[in-house]
Parts: sequence; structure tokens; C-alpha cells
Amino acid sequence: MDKVIEIKDLTKKFGVLRAVDSVTMNIRKGELFGLMGPNGSGKTTTVKLLTGQIKPTAGEAKVLGIDVLKDPINVRDIVGIIPEQETPPSFLTAEEYLHFVGRIRKLDNIQKRSDKWFRFLEFEGEKQVLCKDLSRGTRQKLMFAQAFIHEPKLAFIDEPLINLDPVIQRKVKDYLKDYVKKGGTIFFCTHVLEIAEEICTRIGIIDKGRIIHEGPIEDLKRKKQHLEDFFLKLVKEV
Amino acid sequence: MFEILNKMVKEEWRMHSTMFGNLMFALFPVLLFAFAFAGSFFLPVFRTMITSGQIVLIAHYVFVLFGMSIGGFGLFGREAMNRRFGQASLIAYSSRTLPVSERKIFLNFFVKDVIYYILMWILPFMAGLGFAVPFLSIGLISYFLVFLTLTLSFLIGLSIVFFLSTLYAHSSKGMIAILVLVAVAGVLGAGYLRVELLNYLPSLSFFLSPSFEWFAYSLILIIVPSGLSLFFIKVDYPERKRKFKNSLDSLSERFSFFRSSHFIAKDLLDLHRSEGGLGKIIFSFLFPVVLIWVILFVFLELIPLANFLLMFSILLGAVASSIYDWLTEFDLFGSYLFLPVKVSSLLKSKLRLYVIMNLVPLVILILAGFLTGGTGYLVFALVTFLSVSAYTVSVKIYLGGLYPNLLFYNAKIFLTFLVAIAPILLAGIFSSIINPFYLLATPVLIVISFFIVRRSCSKWDGTEQPGF
Repeated sequence: MDKVIEIKDLTKKFGVLRAVDSVTMNIRKGELFGLMGPNGSGKTTTVKLLTGQIKPTAGEAKVLGIDVLKDPINVRDIVGIIPEQETPPSFLTAEEYLHFVGRIRKLDNIQKRSDKWFRFLEFEGEKQVLCKDLSRGTRQKLMFAQAFIHEPKLAFIDEPLINLDPVIQRKVKDYLKDYVKKGGTIFFCTHVLEIAEEICTRIGIIDKGRIIHEGPIEDLKRKKQHLEDFFLKLVKEV
Repeated sequence: MFEILNKMVKEEWRMHSTMFGNLMFALFPVLLFAFAFAGSFFLPVFRTMITSGQIVLIAHYVFVLFGMSIGGFGLFGREAMNRRFGQASLIAYSSRTLPVSERKIFLNFFVKDVIYYILMWILPFMAGLGFAVPFLSIGLISYFLVFLTLTLSFLIGLSIVFFLSTLYAHSSKGMIAILVLVAVAGVLGAGYLRVELLNYLPSLSFFLSPSFEWFAYSLILIIVPSGLSLFFIKVDYPERKRKFKNSLDSLSERFSFFRSSHFIAKDLLDLHRSEGGLGKIIFSFLFPVVLIWVILFVFLELIPLANFLLMFSILLGAVASSIYDWLTEFDLFGSYLFLPVKVSSLLKSKLRLYVIMNLVPLVILILAGFLTGGTGYLVFALVTFLSVSAYTVSVKIYLGGLYPNLLFYNAKIFLTFLVAIAPILLAGIFSSIINPFYLLATPVLIVISFFIVRRSCSKWDGTEQPGF
């Protein structure tokens, strides 16, 4: 299968702290890859490095064949990203924000595309509300919509389900499964292990900036091992 | 009460110092001290041109304006701070989660601002002047008196803005109506303005003829507006969801002659929908403009060779760059980090909007030309204004990028800004006195600005944006 993300010895230091420490791995097309780890383990920093939001201290990464360090704007142009914190501009309405993103991405049929997402995530009634007045859950829906509005081949999603109600969570999970079935790829950061166990095809576990496990979720299922037990055991060993 | 105040002062310090390090932030008052000390040596030079009384008058009005700008930023800038730091993390918002009344919080907030800015601005300034006292013919009593009266002037400015903000919370239209009335009265009364009238600022009058009466008037002007603000305090929790029809698309189309017009549309919506609306820029800009007008009015009485309109155009150009501060006030690059957007794209779009918004000072300048009967020099003034405005904002962009309001508290950045701007302004002022035709060379500044902006774009594109 095609390599969609190639990471080699990727390292990010903040002072003496090695937030990401010599990470090497590949993500293939059609995978729903879940990166898990305790708080502060380096998940979000990894996503930021892979999407060119911050520069690595050492190592290299290619996303859809593009060198992230050399051309971060091009990477962000072709992928979708849901950041850890939902920060749409305060004084745009939800609808204006999706149109704003559509214009930045130079999309056609922006109205049609945004309406589709308002309907799918069931927040049509909120589209004229200022982003700053939206609930966290609705802002999360908005961030989901902006990440997929241009139908990217690859999406980086950082805790996308955490503020959503169970009905929308179900819809989003089904959407993600369907998305990878159709050839899309997802790089999914979470520490909600149940969700990872349910939807991911392959997982990586990161602790103190280092990848301590990487492999298909099926391996665990075959061994009749719960992800939670496996995760806790690994993290304790480290 | 004291516990909250103590924590608020610590919070204010940490908020600023975490942005650019304790040392750079702590150096800011040291820099002020140095400037005040160095500037004091020029007092004898100024005294050959204008009287001590006029220097004192200007200083008192500058401190009133300073108090107003601090109060204005503290209140109108709340939204920007919320966005940067999150409401829950600021003590000012703790009445929502802790058993503390809004009134108590507001009182602490006011006292904190007073303490903080007296410590960070007024004390260093006065210390600088104080160290120069042995070299000047100023008596110790006069020194301590001016210390007291300048502090009172600062507090008067702060209290007036706090009062206006409370008025605004109750009726934004009412406050705007009052400000418009004041502005209209100012324009109509400009012809009748006499220097003697300006001396009726109570703190200044107290300095000129110390008496209990003037001291009491000063205190009344501080206590009454802030007391009324405290008594009638009204805090709007953002429970009401504000709804708007899509204006982004139509605005983007309207500015489509600019590249990336959606950024301009977004900035305009930010300004329009945030507290104070577009009026906050105009009024925060008008205050210094009025002050410059008053200062020049006083200053030029004694230098008949100087041309009011030309000097006004130079200073107006420098002050116009404060519009850029507002344009960057509501943006966080964090909102764009996950999108294919370069910092330079934002800088350029803000610069385009800055050009559009410079129409406001341009109109003021043209009006000034007609009001002062200086239309003969209007072309010189317009050229000078545009050149100085372009140069000042380009230096601001180079040094402050998307965060001039925060980064300019860094002593090194602030000093660099002053070093880059002051010689240009001085050269302009002297040229206007020697031969106004020299000012026709100022468009060179526009060319320089062009290169500075280009350098700024590559500088900020290569810089990791701060995480606030």
C-alpha cells in the first residue's frame, strides 16, 4: 500500500524536554491510525510537526509525498486538520467561518459544501451565531466541518469527539469508518481508548515522546486483549 | 479584598512577563527611566522655545491621555485578552465561579490598574526626572508637586474612561452621543480655544497654584466617575447568542480589488462586532489627535516660523499607525495554524485595510487644512502624512508582526521602534520649519516602507508564532 505519511527520526525539543523523541513510522493509505498516549506524551506535538505548525529540532517527515519542513503550506492545503483546541475567529458566525475557510482553500460551491455539513452535523440552527457564543460541542462540530469541507485525502484529527453528544459521536465515527473505506486516511489522536479500539485499524502508543508500540488493532483482538489493559501495562513499564 | 488585589497584580505581571521573559519586561520601566532622565536634560532647550508653564501644561494633558489609553485598553481590550488567555483563567472573571461580587472584582481591577501602571510607568518616569533634578533648576518641592499632580492627571484620565465604559455598558448609543457632542463642541469651539482655558484641568491648576480647593476638585474628578462606575456596574455575561446574517461574502466581494479580500472582510467584521464597534478605533485615534492639536496650538504660539498643518501632518502620520494596533487586536495566528495561511498573507491584508482606514486621518488632515487656513500647504501636508504613516506602520509590522500590542512591551523592541521613528519625525519637523519644500522628499519613506514590509514578511514567515 502507498505510504501517505513517512516519518524518520522526528524530534522536537522544548528546552531540555524532548516532547517528540526520534519517532520513526509510516502510515499507509486507507488506514485509520490512532495515536494514543497519556497527557503530555507528545501526541499533539507530533500532529503539529506533521502538519508544519511547528518546526522539528531534528528528523524529517513527508506527508502525501511533500516534505513538511520545506513546504508546510502545501501540506496544510491538501490535508484536513482538527486542532486540539477549537479556536475559530470569535466574531465570525459559524456559516461565515466555513465560507472563510472555503475562500482560503479556494473552493467552489462553498454554500453547498457548508450547508451539507450543517445538515450532517445537525447544527443548521446555529449557523448565524457568532463563533464565540457557540457551545464547545458546536464549535467542535464546526472544526470537524472545516477539516473535511475540501474532501481531503488525509486528515489529522486531535480529540475530535470529546465534546460531542452521543448521537453526533456515532455519526462522526461512522463517517470516519466510511471515509477510510473509500480510500481516505486518518491520523487520529486520542486518549479515549474505547473509541480508538472501536474505529482504528492500526494504533501507535506514545509516551514521553517515544513510540512504545505500533501495530494493527486486530493483533490485540486476536489475542483477546483489551486495549485499556494493554495500554496501562505498556505505560507502566515505561 | 487585599488577597484578590495581590493576586491580580501578580497575574498582570505574569501575563506580560510570560510573553517575552521577565528580564525584557522588567527592562521596560528601566527604559522609561532612561528616557525621562535623558529627556529632562533637554528641558532647558525647550525652555528657550516655550515657557515652563507650557511644558507643564503639555505634560499634564499627556498624562490624562495616558490614563485614558490605559483604561481604554483595559476595558475595550478585554475581548482580545479573553481570546488570548481564556475567560476562566483571569481573576477578573472569577465572579462567575467564586463567591465574589462583580463590584468587588471591578474595584480590585481598578485599584490594580492604578498600582500597576503607577509602578510600571509613572514611578520610572518620575524617577528619571528626579535623578535629573540636581542638573536642572527645579526645586525639590516643585518636583514632588509635579509628581503628585501628574499622578492625579493620570487617575483623572483613567476614571473618565472607566465612567464612559460603564455608560457604554448601559447605553452604547448614549455614550457615543456624548462623545459626538464633545467632538462637535471641540471642533466648533476650536476657534475660541485659549491656552488659559486649558489650565482649568484641576490637577494642573493645583500645580500652578497649590490649594486645598484644586486638590479636592482633582480628587472629585477621580472619585466621582470611578464611584459612579462602581455603583452602576453592569456586567454582560455572554449568555445571549448574537446572530448575524452572512456578511463575509458580500464584504469580500466589495473589496475584491484586493487580493485575499476575505481577510479584510473578516477584520472589518471583527472590528464592527467587537465591543465598541468601529467607533472605538475612531475615538481611540481622535483622543491623541485632539491632544496633538492642543500641544501644537500651545507650542506654535512661540515659534511663529513653524507651520501648524505641516507639523500636524507629521505627528498625525505617526499616530495613524495606532490603527494597525486595532487591526491586529482580535486575531490569533492559532486560528490559522491548521489552514494553508502564511503569516505574511495576514500582514499584507492588514496593511491593505490599514491603507483604507487611513482615509479617516486623511479627512482630519484636510479638515485641519481648512480650519487653520493652511490650504496653501495642504499638498505638502498630505504627502508628508502618507509617507510618515507608511514608514511608521512598516516599522511596526517589522518589529511587532501580528502582535504589536504585546511585543511593544518588550523593552528592546520598543527602544528599536523609537530609534527608528524619532529621527525621521525630528527631521520632518525641522524640515517643515527650515523649508517646507524639503518635505516633498518624504515619499522616499514610502519606498523604504515597501522594502521593510518585504523584509517583515520573510521575517515573520520564518518565525514560529507565539502560543498566546
